[in-house]
Amino acid sequence: MDSTLSALLRAAPRADRLSKPSPLEEEVVCLFDQFRDRLLRYALSFGLPIQDAEEIVQEVFLALFQHLQRGKSRENLRGWVFRVTHNLALKQREQSRRSQQVALGPYGGALPADPAPNPEDQLASRQREERLQAVLRALPEQHQRCLYLRAEGLRYREIAAALGMSLGSVSMSLAKSMARLGRADER
Amino acid sequence: MNGEAMKYEDAHLSDEEMLMAADGELPLGRAKRIDAHLAHCWACRARMAGMEANIADLVHLHRRNFDRPVPPAAPSRALLKARLAAAPRSSWQGWFGDVGHVLRIAGIALAVGALVLLVSYPRVFRDTRAVPAIHLTPGATRPVALKDLCSGQYSKNAQVMPVVQRQVFARYGLKNVEPGAYEVDYLITPALGGADDIRNLWPQPYSSTVWNAAVKDELEDRLHAMVCSGELDLVSAQQDIAKDWIEAYKKYFHTDTPAPGYVAKP
Repeated sequence: MDSTLSALLRAAPRADRLSKPSPLEEEVVCLFDQFRDRLLRYALSFGLPIQDAEEIVQEVFLALFQHLQRGKSRENLRGWVFRVTHNLALKQREQSRRSQQVALGPYGGALPADPAPNPEDQLASRQREERLQAVLRALPEQHQRCLYLRAEGLRYREIAAALGMSLGSVSMSLAKSMARLGRADER
Repeated sequence: MNGEAMKYEDAHLSDEEMLMAADGELPLGRAKRIDAHLAHCWACRARMAGMEANIADLVHLHRRNFDRPVPPAAPSRALLKARLAAAPRSSWQGWFGDVGHVLRIAGIALAVGALVLLVSYPRVFRDTRAVPAIHLTPGATRPVALKDLCSGQYSKNAQVMPVVQRQVFARYGLKNVEPGAYEVDYLITPALGGADDIRNLWPQPYSSTVWNAAVKDELEDRLHAMVCSGELDLVSAQQDIAKDWIEAYKKYFHTDTPAPGYVAKP
């Protein structure tokens, strides 16, 4: 990354010439500060290595710069950046699949180890978590992604924009998933 | 009791409408009817409680799965800034050569265009602004003693009644407002003596991702602290936030951009 940055700085005469970033550049960097970690985690949820995820986030904000520079809509920018991340991550995952297997959905991996000790009184909650995790893994990927984005705080219209779904499909997907989670203890 | 109310009290809620109600995704009228049903129906309230418990478990699990540490942002932030500086500009910029010059011209053109829009098409202009239309929302204050404001029990922004919200939307010419698209907010916060008056309320769009409600809350907290410490007089604080809260933020935080971490409200 550092060598890439150095090379880019050397090869960017315009960057040297400009004493101050444009207001649009500043705005995009400000949005990067706000969304970078969440978009990075979303890209990682596709099972991608960190280097690929970082590059995807870079591309998202370069695309955002072009989008705003062309005077396109500022409506629902949060949904927009998640959508571009989603599409780029999907594309990258397809390329990666040719050489190696990656996780299918955001909840596809094994449950991470509990950082706390595992006394007996935590056993019940641990077992319930595992049941929920099993239900999540069994959901279609689209349903998993709706849940993921809702858990990240996105509104339905933002989820719809991010995943290219209708508003009705989002609410239907979430309701079905919650119903299945509600039946997790019956399994 | 009218027929519609009877219908909602008799028919149990579907999973979908229950979740949409919990997520604040229903139009106000429908949300109120569902609240009324829940007030009467223990069975649906028990289902709602179960659903909320599942949401809590899911959020916990989501954090376990994804709140992993990510690399520091500084290197990738620097890389992005360099790439943005080197990114191609719109083709019309090539006509002028100097980017700074073009930006100044664009700034003037934007200011003129904004003025024309303000005069000719106020509805279009207001709809996308992160600050209110001053002739509709000049700000209004209530008589209040400083010691009451600074007693530690100052009122946070109260939820604006739905009927008042509708009046605010109407004043701004907004029809069929999508739930969650706007927050009806106080221009001068009650914590700074702002009045519960329609001239002090405006629809703040959630689409304002940079200058959003969380950033304004931060400014309000700063001004409140300054007023109560005697660093700033109350009238100046009220005037500054009413005139242009974004300019006030820049003035009191000595920055042109809000602090990182203040994201648009979900």
